Amino acid sequence: MKNENKVLACVDQSRFADYVADYAAWAVRRMDAPLEFLHIIDPHPEQGSGEDRSGAIGVNAQEELLVKLSEEDEARARSAREQGRIFLNRLRERATAAGAALVDVRQRHGELEETLVEQAEGVRLLVLGRRGESADTTQRDLGRNVERVVRALNRPILTVTDDFHEPQRVMIAFDGGIVTRRGVEMVAGSPLFRGLPITLLMAGKERQDAPKQLDWAKTTLEAAGFEVTALLTPGDAETVIATAVREQAIDMLIMGAFGHSPLRSLLFGSKTADLLRSSTIPTLLLR
Amino acid sequence: MIKSLRQDWLPNVRHDLLAGIVVALALIPEAIAFSIIAGVDPKVGLYASFCIATVIAFAGGRPGMISAATGAMALLMVMLVKEHGLQYLLAATVLTGVLQIIAGWLKLGALMRFVSRSVITGFVNALAILIFMAQLPELTNVTWHVYAMTAAGLGIIYLFPYVTKAVPSPLVAIVVLTILAIVLGIDVRTVGDMGQLPDSLPIFLLPDVPLNLETLAIIFPVSATLAVVGLLESMMTASIVDDLTDSNSNKNRECVGQGVANIASGFLGGMAGCAMIGQSVINVKSGGRGRLSTLAAGVFLLLMIVFIGDWVSRIPMAALVAVMIMVSIGTFNWASIRDLRKNPKSSSIVMLATVAVTVSTHDLAQGVLVGVLLSGFFFAHKVGQILRVTSRAEDEGRTRTYTVTGQVFFASAERFVNAFDYKEVIEKVRIDVSRAHFWDITAVSALDKVVIKFRREAAEVEVIGLNEASTTMVDKFAVHDKDGADDILMGH
Repeated sequence: MKNENKVLACVDQSRFADYVADYAAWAVRRMDAPLEFLHIIDPHPEQGSGEDRSGAIGVNAQEELLVKLSEEDEARARSAREQGRIFLNRLRERATAAGAALVDVRQRHGELEETLVEQAEGVRLLVLGRRGESADTTQRDLGRNVERVVRALNRPILTVTDDFHEPQRVMIAFDGGIVTRRGVEMVAGSPLFRGLPITLLMAGKERQDAPKQLDWAKTTLEAAGFEVTALLTPGDAETVIATAVREQAIDMLIMGAFGHSPLRSLLFGSKTADLLRSSTIPTLLLR
Repeated sequence: MIKSLRQDWLPNVRHDLLAGIVVALALIPEAIAFSIIAGVDPKVGLYASFCIATVIAFAGGRPGMISAATGAMALLMVMLVKEHGLQYLLAATVLTGVLQIIAGWLKLGALMRFVSRSVITGFVNALAILIFMAQLPELTNVTWHVYAMTAAGLGIIYLFPYVTKAVPSPLVAIVVLTILAIVLGIDVRTVGDMGQLPDSLPIFLLPDVPLNLETLAIIFPVSATLAVVGLLESMMTASIVDDLTDSNSNKNRECVGQGVANIASGFLGGMAGCAMIGQSVINVKSGGRGRLSTLAAGVFLLLMIVFIGDWVSRIPMAALVAVMIMVSIGTFNWASIRDLRKNPKSSSIVMLATVAVTVSTHDLAQGVLVGVLLSGFFFAHKVGQILRVTSRAEDEGRTRTYTVTGQVFFASAERFVNAFDYKEVIEKVRIDVSRAHFWDITAVSALDKVVIKFRREAAEVEVIGLNEASTTMVDKFAVHDKDGADDILMGH
């Protein structure tokens, strides 16, 4: 099961997993690709669990500590595996019911980002919940893992929110940059959005070659048989996109992601992260 | 980069800080005890432990491993300090760091794979014995009070955890014994009697030695040994921590980090140190995993020393001895005694030889060298047994074909030569070596010898498959890193 162009749905035990499954099933149905659910169990080797601060080491201290720590890990890993299996099977049934033909499930030990990079081979599309297990406790709009994963992976990533609607109207946030230009070509060549009306939105500061760029994108998409509406709206990108999404009842957004360095996004914030936070619809991120 | 910074420092803050305190409390008696072993003021060991722990937190390659002034290193400095004084020790410490950085750049950490399990066990046991032996001067020619206090200290250390595990029991032992000694007015030696304690933060100082070749000739041999022993113990400790925490470390970064830490220590008036097995086990046991635990240990150590230094000087030596006996008991690999009979004799001999040489020379480097050499001999001997020569007569006894299978190299060359029957009267000898491995020049010359011996008996000799057999002379053909090496080495 390695080199086929599969859709990888990364899930944890949160309610968002259901919507990840729904969108993944939708994508594989359209793309006619196999689906794989990946549940990553992070053993957190970087976190200690010691309640023993006696500081005394006796006969065979090292051996005993090794035995104790591995028993703890074993118990944790076993319960994570058993629970994971149950919810993975439920998701598999859900996806099959939603029309996915080939569904596989897999559990791996490891850290989220590293594991995804390892598993990225043969992945055509990654589906990921924008928030995860800790969403209700941390109250953050954007799961802490999303940006890291998007940065680490060179694959299109569909980040989903907490509801499923079969996408009807798609919008591409187009900036004329190389990433979104490639994105337009990708959309034109992929069966994922075939038959759906597409809105091309170019926002932000007026640039000289903007109309030309927009025209190119429109022609490319139309040549692929899409019904395209092109819009050139000046203004702050975030606001313009948010307004357009609302006004035109867009239910899937496509955009380039994290074009700047991590340092810059740490200091000045990231446009992508802001957009992800403010938009409530599933977003396909391109790198 | 930001991600790895966060990963290294922040995932375990609470446990790391608490574990750091536990470790710092245990580091104080050790640093004092190791200074005494080296023959310097306790402040030298305390400054060293602070510097090394703090620097290694940033520069090391194994988060969660504790490095500070150690017994293994202290034992190597004794003569230098005695003959040339503290300043030369500081210079040697800086040079040790430089050598370790070079070792890290040359990626010498990889050499650790030649150090077998038995040698590591021997190293650990020898270290434990040396730490214990270093306590004996405190226990000879003293009043019964000292024995009583040491016994009481050990009792508290091992029994107090049954009451609560929230407080480090070595600390309880030290506090109780100190109070007892002061209240009852028992006249025993205290830490203050052993030399100067730190009264300020460490300050940057260049070692006061003449910068000439003579100085280098004095410090270089010591520094080289210190560098080797420091890296050995650090690499061993790193793999122990790797195993305990089920995670990986960057061994070469650790080598460089140890070097940087020692240079810093030398310039701030501290002695050379390295990773500590006992303390690292305590750290992991207390929940410490990240770099923060190491940093916390160093910083707490210094804060405690500077602010409660007066009290530290009144700790009876008996209390420290009790703590150090605990460390040596915890470091010793007791299972290795049980396994002496079970393990192959050769492994047991390697382990015991490592211990014996180290304990008699007080030099872990020599012990490890002997252990590694012995392992090599035993291994060569064992592999040399894998050689079989069979023969069959052909052509109504006029021809004989010898088939050689197995490993031919320096350790088995003689067996190889003796496996042929030169006295047989014969016209033609065929030697098929295509299923043997010729590992070195000795093997090739052994074959030459066999051929010449047969020629002298007027037999015509034909060697079959020499090319296949000698592809394993890896130095010459370097097949080991080419594609298909597996086929060549394993195929026949």
